[in-house]
Amino acid sequence: MNGSVVVTGAARGIGRAIAERVASMGPITVIGVDIAPELALSEHLMPVQVDLTSPEGPSVVRETVESAGAPLVGVVNNAGITRDARLVNMTDDDFAAVLEVNLGASYRLATELAPLMSDGGAIVNIASRAYLGNFGQFNYSMSKGGVVGMTRALALSLAPGVRVNAVAPGLISSEMSMGIPEEIREKMVDAIPLDRMGTPEEVADTVWWLLTPLSSYITGEVIVVGGGRSLS
Amino acid sequence: MSGVIHWAEEVGDDWARVQAELTRAFEVSRASAQAEESFVYVVRQDDLLGRRGPGNAMVATGLLSAARTAALEGSRKRWTANVVAYDEGTDPEAVQAWARRMLEADDVTGELVRVGAGHIGKTLP
Repeated sequence: MNGSVVVTGAARGIGRAIAERVASMGPITVIGVDIAPELALSEHLMPVQVDLTSPEGPSVVRETVESAGAPLVGVVNNAGITRDARLVNMTDDDFAAVLEVNLGASYRLATELAPLMSDGGAIVNIASRAYLGNFGQFNYSMSKGGVVGMTRALALSLAPGVRVNAVAPGLISSEMSMGIPEEIREKMVDAIPLDRMGTPEEVADTVWWLLTPLSSYITGEVIVVGGGRSLS
Repeated sequence: MSGVIHWAEEVGDDWARVQAELTRAFEVSRASAQAEESFVYVVRQDDLLGRRGPGNAMVATGLLSAARTAALEGSRKRWTANVVAYDEGTDPEAVQAWARRMLEADDVTGELVRVGAGHIGKTLP
């Protein structure tokens, strides 16, 4: 692979692991969105700090891609937030924020960048195992379900030149999961057949595989990286 | 029978319309949950597969995932959340009848019922 790859939410957690994984495979230029210059991972990384929910956010990323001077071969829509509550107590603001960041920003960025992508390129959208349902996450689950639908539709409309897939992580050791109270987290791990949380690097490996020609006959799919939790 | 049947609106591919439709579904669902009443979303099978563009797809699959989560929460209070998906050309009365049936079936929740054969051989949503 030669060219540039955009990774959103690249400052920490899964996004950072994806950016590191891609950057380690140079000569690819990684355009890390949301990442501060001092956190630059390698000489192959171009940091961009922009609010992807702002009207100008996607076009700022597009201009950065164009200035990189390398063909765009990959986009990873990773940025996401949670604002958990039971449906009966969920506020309008918490619903709107999660929908806008997790789904709206991903959709607008994908449609902004798709025309720049070269044949053989790939988009990977980070969904979540919560798209199968998860207590207290009506907004998050809806947004990640929407990401799955967006993935299928873009896979059809961008074929045959560009492949589009989704990765649905389960319980991953990250800043987001560390916000879960320890006793609840332990119960969640007990329900995972592989008996542990996943690592951001394990998600990054799957994303990387979907970006490369190793997965050249796969499009429109959702790959769950969840330690078998969907069975238990 | 008590509860709400929410038919997904056509939204095209404009994000603002997608956002408005999903917000409308959220408001309807929250009100139903607060009243401890069941609800059913009605979507098109083609949209679960993304075959009519990303806007309608985001709505359909977003509603399916939301129903699954709501079903988990409602199971403690005996209200349900389900989805009915239909093929193009299906008689709307037949779809509505299935939706009513899902409202009445208080032991079935978080389920997707597909009216028609268009889903066979396709991906599981």
